[in-house]
Amino acid sequence: MTDRPREIDCGEAAEKLYEYLDQELDAATEAAVRQHLEMCAPCFQVFDFEKTYLKFIETRARAQGAPESLKRKLLDQLFREGSAAD
Amino acid sequence: MVTFQRAFAHNGRDGNCKHLALRIPHLSDDFRCRSAMTGGDDKRRAFEETALPHLDAVYRFGLRLTGNTAQAEDLTQETMLKAYRSWHQFRPGTNIRAWLLTILRNNFINEYRKAKHRAESVDISDVEMRSVFHDVAETDPEGKFFEQIVDQEVLDAIDRLPEDFKEALILSDIEGLHYQEIAEVTGVPVGTVKSRLFRARRALQKELFEYAVEMGYIKRSTL
Repeated sequence: MTDRPREIDCGEAAEKLYEYLDQELDAATEAAVRQHLEMCAPCFQVFDFEKTYLKFIETRARAQGAPESLKRKLLDQLFREGSAAD
Repeated sequence: MVTFQRAFAHNGRDGNCKHLALRIPHLSDDFRCRSAMTGGDDKRRAFEETALPHLDAVYRFGLRLTGNTAQAEDLTQETMLKAYRSWHQFRPGTNIRAWLLTILRNNFINEYRKAKHRAESVDISDVEMRSVFHDVAETDPEGKFFEQIVDQEVLDAIDRLPEDFKEALILSDIEGLHYQEIAEVTGVPVGTVKSRLFRARRALQKELFEYAVEMGYIKRSTL
């Protein structure tokens, strides 16, 4: 027999919003939030909006990487370190 | 480069070089071949394969903490060299990115923070913590306006967050660390990470929304 997730209200769902999106909840709480979202359209919309927002931050801020010149400099340094240790 | 290839042809290790090249596409051929030529250096190979793919993350974190590219480059270099020299202290199976970012952060606190001219950060203690969704529910419930905001504006808004909050947001939302890992990197309890993250996300959201309104990307709801 599988346990049904416990029921939670909109307030609790809102409280757990980021932990849910970050996949930081324990399985039982996650199931409870998921069940609430399946039945509550307004909460689902907020969660969806926040998910879009987090994805947006990640994409925008990750676009930047280390300059090629730095990569080359570092590789040379590591090679010298390695040679010295050999 | 030709010289290296010849060298491999001589000792029959060119296959090894190609193998490495497939696994670490961003490394220079020169380095890969030279590493393979000296051969047998497990430490270097392990470092190349495990730590170097996180160079971009290290640099990004350095850049957000220092606020300038020259210092970020120095900090990145120092971090990676320290990590290489302390490679024996890395515990396989733990998050390498979290380990590298911890080294960077400690280095930053010890060597750079004192000298850093702190930019004025926004006060987020009074920021309303409800989701901006409620301001755009009528006009843009899917948050399409975000797409119109350029990278630099997002980065600038992140930089204006108070340091502790900025750190939590970067480590989570940009570098993908778990709460527990962020707690370890920043030396605070998980509960503190959660609340910082919550406030940082909502404050940043609000800033970006205000910017989007100002730029005419979206209208403020009159409700």
